[in-house]
Amino acid sequence: MRVSRVLLVAVAAGGVLALALGGEALAGREPTRTVAAPWAVAGPGLPLGADVLGRDVLARVLAGGRDLTLGALAAAGAASSLGVAGGLWAGWSRGRAARAARALSDLLLVLPLLLVAMLAVVTVPGPAAVIAGTVFGGAPLTLRVMADATAQARHTGYVEAALSRGERGLSVLFREVLPAHAGLVGADLGQRMVLAVQLSAALNVLGFGPPPPEADWAAMLRENLPGIGLNPAAVLAPAAALALLAGSVAGLSHILAGRS
Amino acid sequence: MAADGARFGGVPRVIVRAGALLSCASTVIFLITEALPGDAAVVRSGGRATAEQLDRLRAEAGLDRPLAERYVSWLAGTLSGDPGHSLLTGRPVAELIGQRMPVTLTLAAAALALAVPLMAILAWAAVGGPRPLRPVITGLVVGGAALPQVALAALLVALLSAAWKLVPPVSLLPAGEPPWSRPALLVLPVLTLALPAAAYGAALLRGAVADAVSRPFVRDAGLRGVSAAAVALRYVFPVVAPAAVRLLAVVAGGLVAGTTVVETLFGLAGLGELLVSSVGGRDLPVVQAVTLLAAAVVAAGLITADAVALAVDPRGGAAR
Repeated sequence: MRVSRVLLVAVAAGGVLALALGGEALAGREPTRTVAAPWAVAGPGLPLGADVLGRDVLARVLAGGRDLTLGALAAAGAASSLGVAGGLWAGWSRGRAARAARALSDLLLVLPLLLVAMLAVVTVPGPAAVIAGTVFGGAPLTLRVMADATAQARHTGYVEAALSRGERGLSVLFREVLPAHAGLVGADLGQRMVLAVQLSAALNVLGFGPPPPEADWAAMLRENLPGIGLNPAAVLAPAAALALLAGSVAGLSHILAGRS
Repeated sequence: MAADGARFGGVPRVIVRAGALLSCASTVIFLITEALPGDAAVVRSGGRATAEQLDRLRAEAGLDRPLAERYVSWLAGTLSGDPGHSLLTGRPVAELIGQRMPVTLTLAAAALALAVPLMAILAWAAVGGPRPLRPVITGLVVGGAALPQVALAALLVALLSAAWKLVPPVSLLPAGEPPWSRPALLVLPVLTLALPAAAYGAALLRGAVADAVSRPFVRDAGLRGVSAAAVALRYVFPVVAPAAVRLLAVVAGGLVAGTTVVETLFGLAGLGELLVSSVGGRDLPVVQAVTLLAAAVVAAGLITADAVALAVDPRGGAAR
């Protein structure tokens, strides 16, 4: 019963991710070509109507998630793996450096990550700023959770058994402690992914995303907001796509966290 | 003895932590912004200046001095209330910030006033509400916390403005009027800021509330026939308060950061919009001053949170 629910949500989230990444192939029409009047309402051949420059909204929604999703995946992967590695080390070792790492991560936690990303965007292109913001804002959280879990695991039977077999610390960490917390790591990865999607949507809506003719969900929101009275679908479709992506990943992460 | 020791050590520790946070933040802000490849001299000249002209512009703006020297003079200037002049317009940064402050303060205060009670109600309802409703509320909280702010903004504009025509879609304020004079203009920005903050806070607070509810004295009070509201206020709230106030400081920080998106989207001329346009124009003194101000707000929130935690639980709850 529970396993089937996890499977169901995992399949749904996987489907949304696959659609976001590969949707462009289904578009059937160039997402950058003008085909109708600006903000034309839905009609035959244009199921969601047209956008500010008369381009097919459906084609743009199908194409507009790829870069954002790829960037978010990279950012979440970077933040999560850094945080997990740091957390395993900080929870296992009781040295001064480990305590300093925890204190530093506590300090970083309170800097609003959107501001860190805004600072980064002065120096580097948008996708790199998303990674920087997610790592700054997300890795400390992961580190904290993972360090607590590792510190607790130190005194469990399976770790003590492995240590008394003569296995070395590093191998115990990666072959015993990490697999035992697979659910926790998965849930954490999902949360960082949500963070990265939110961050990238915010930066792209502020105009730091891909350059104009490129389709992007967040940029579509800003482009088409003035025409919401004429063709609401041009705003609601990308908004729903963003919500679906973040929501399905968050749902999966929530269920994984509940099981671990 | 131990309690007294913690109380004595608590106050200096709070100050040290806030100081550490601010110096860490100022260093991060300065280093990240100064590492940029093209500087404001290039932006101001529109990319058409010769190398000599660029050098002169840089010398005028003091961009040719060593990094450490610039950091010290920037920090000293900012702390004494003079963060320098905008590289793009030449106006004092303090004046720019003072001009934009009322809009952002009004927005953030209104959003916080809405988000805090909503957060408390949601967190309580997800744990102690009517049993059939709990999964629904939990889903709402988890989904709401995940929803990107811009998607919510679009949804609210579509519903409140385009479909029901209750409020205008953009919030252009007439020049010279205080932001609170047109409350209808603030509805969309405030909701866009407050709803995700409330959901995010509630998602994190839910665990603390569940923890408190499972404590023996709370269950005991319920069995004795104390009403649910009284249990929430008298037994659960004091246990949750320290965590909640600290969480609130982080939520407030996120809210301040969120004004960048909300002000830009709805056309409000506040600090967030100033930051966005300054980042676009590489106007370093403005970017540095606004982000440092935001970090100071977060630090002030954390000091308050630690002080409240210390007052509620003098045994040293602030340490965590």
